[in-house]
Amino acid sequence: MPFDNTNIFELAETYLAGTMPQAEFLAIKERLAVDKEFATEFYAATDLIRTATDSGKHKRFRNMLRDVHRMEQKAATEKKPARKIIFTPEFWRTASIAAGVAILTSTITIWSLKPSINKSESRYNTISREVTGLKLEQAKQERRQKELEMNLDAKPKKSAGPTSDVAKTGTGFALTNNGYFVTAYHVLHDEDGYGDSVYIQNSDGQYFKASLVTFNAETDVAIMKVDRAGFRFGKGDLPYGLTSSKANLGSKIFTLGYPADEVSYSEGYISARNGYDGNKLQYTLELPVGYGESGSPMIDAAGNVLGLLTAVGAQSEERTYAVSSKAIFDLLHKLPDEKTIKLPKASHMSRMSREQQIDKMEAYTFAVKVYKK
Amino acid sequence: MQSPINIEQQLLAALAAGEREATEQIYRQNFTIISGWLIKNGGSAADAADLFQEAMVVLFSKSQEEEFRLSCKIGTYLFAISKHLWYKRLQRQSKEPVPLLDNTGDGEEEGGIAYEDDLNAHQEREAHYEQLDAALDQLGEPCRSLLKAYYHHDKSMQEIAASFGYTNPDNAKTQKYKCLARLRKIFYAGID
Repeated sequence: MPFDNTNIFELAETYLAGTMPQAEFLAIKERLAVDKEFATEFYAATDLIRTATDSGKHKRFRNMLRDVHRMEQKAATEKKPARKIIFTPEFWRTASIAAGVAILTSTITIWSLKPSINKSESRYNTISREVTGLKLEQAKQERRQKELEMNLDAKPKKSAGPTSDVAKTGTGFALTNNGYFVTAYHVLHDEDGYGDSVYIQNSDGQYFKASLVTFNAETDVAIMKVDRAGFRFGKGDLPYGLTSSKANLGSKIFTLGYPADEVSYSEGYISARNGYDGNKLQYTLELPVGYGESGSPMIDAAGNVLGLLTAVGAQSEERTYAVSSKAIFDLLHKLPDEKTIKLPKASHMSRMSREQQIDKMEAYTFAVKVYKK
Repeated sequence: MQSPINIEQQLLAALAAGEREATEQIYRQNFTIISGWLIKNGGSAADAADLFQEAMVVLFSKSQEEEFRLSCKIGTYLFAISKHLWYKRLQRQSKEPVPLLDNTGDGEEEGGIAYEDDLNAHQEREAHYEQLDAALDQLGEPCRSLLKAYYHHDKSMQEIAASFGYTNPDNAKTQKYKCLARLRKIFYAGID
């Protein structure tokens, strides 16, 4: 029987799966006994396939565990009632199915940077996968409930999590008052591809559908636009400016983001001029943030947006990385209709107190929710 | 009505299949007790989450073994594994030996469980997986993504063919075997 490096894996796979015809199986057994070189190759192949299969199984199990842990902790600590959410008529037309789900809970975005991508990628991926897997799980659950007679400690199946499609959430902030905004690209896209639709939810709880305008996966910046005609984020011009020049080490910065359904404030400082692995298009910040704040603006004391948050350190979660606003400018320059997007140059908030700044900014900062079937 | 042992065996079988419901149930029945013990013994909430997860993975691996039967209750096993993991971690952190904080009596109670063996096997397995991950990362595209989609994300060859742009699953399969051959070279080169 001839073999090369490729078809030995096919043999090994069918052998392990037990789908090999009896005659072939016996032939291989025989050959393994006499042909040493073949045996070495064959066992290496089966070992590799077995390891890959088991390792994948373990990864999925770990991801599920992490999710179970998170859900259980959340169920244990969550007591406050859900915030009231106002739906616009348009929302009902376009996404009435998704709405009920969105109220339930927001999911979490976990992300780390490219060089360490492989460890974190699977975390990040599975979260969206597991959310989508829940529906199936629930159907199975009900069936098995009867079969197994497991005593569930009389605990009601409360907060089983989103039963449908909120796959991920992040934060975004306005670039123009008429609907252009920016968020972190990884919120929209992971290894499994794009979500089916993206909605923003503002601090009043209103939803608006949005579409991708352009992105750069490398820098992790995505520019989107709210679909609705005549849309405005707020009453006047954007209160903040956008600056692409590099800020000084030690500069005080703050952010507004949506780790949960409620907007959250956090402050810190620039702890290194460059970002992860010396990335010049990034800053390293000492800034405590929660998952779901990917895409939040990084703002200096005078109200200039210096960048957007993209990741937290794998070692210390206090270390946060932000993509410099320069990446936003770079991206816009590549657009054919660049001129239609007039970025805010100057901050109108330089003399305001922090409370006033936050108050002004709230209308222009919002949650970004990605839905997936 | 089924006996408690039967229920536990079924729970383990469901866990072995990676079913979420079983995992949730085992979590609910054991996490609070174990994390309570850990925090009393100098661990943090994060340590508790971490350790419990590790213990669950050990149990999961055990449940995969064909001849596997737990000689004690699931809770007892998880507790024993968690304790050992915690002591080991303390030992690693400080150079000095750590006194076993409440080793009195536990020995008998947990007698008959070969947790040392289980833990060693667990560590070996994890190291093996890490080597494989490292080898996977050295693979070029599309091999890396393709193998990850198949093995890590449990995608079918049909789905893979569609998302990687192969005209049919057979072409994708051929590509997969080629990728495995490449992976094999890197993987075993790393081991020697």
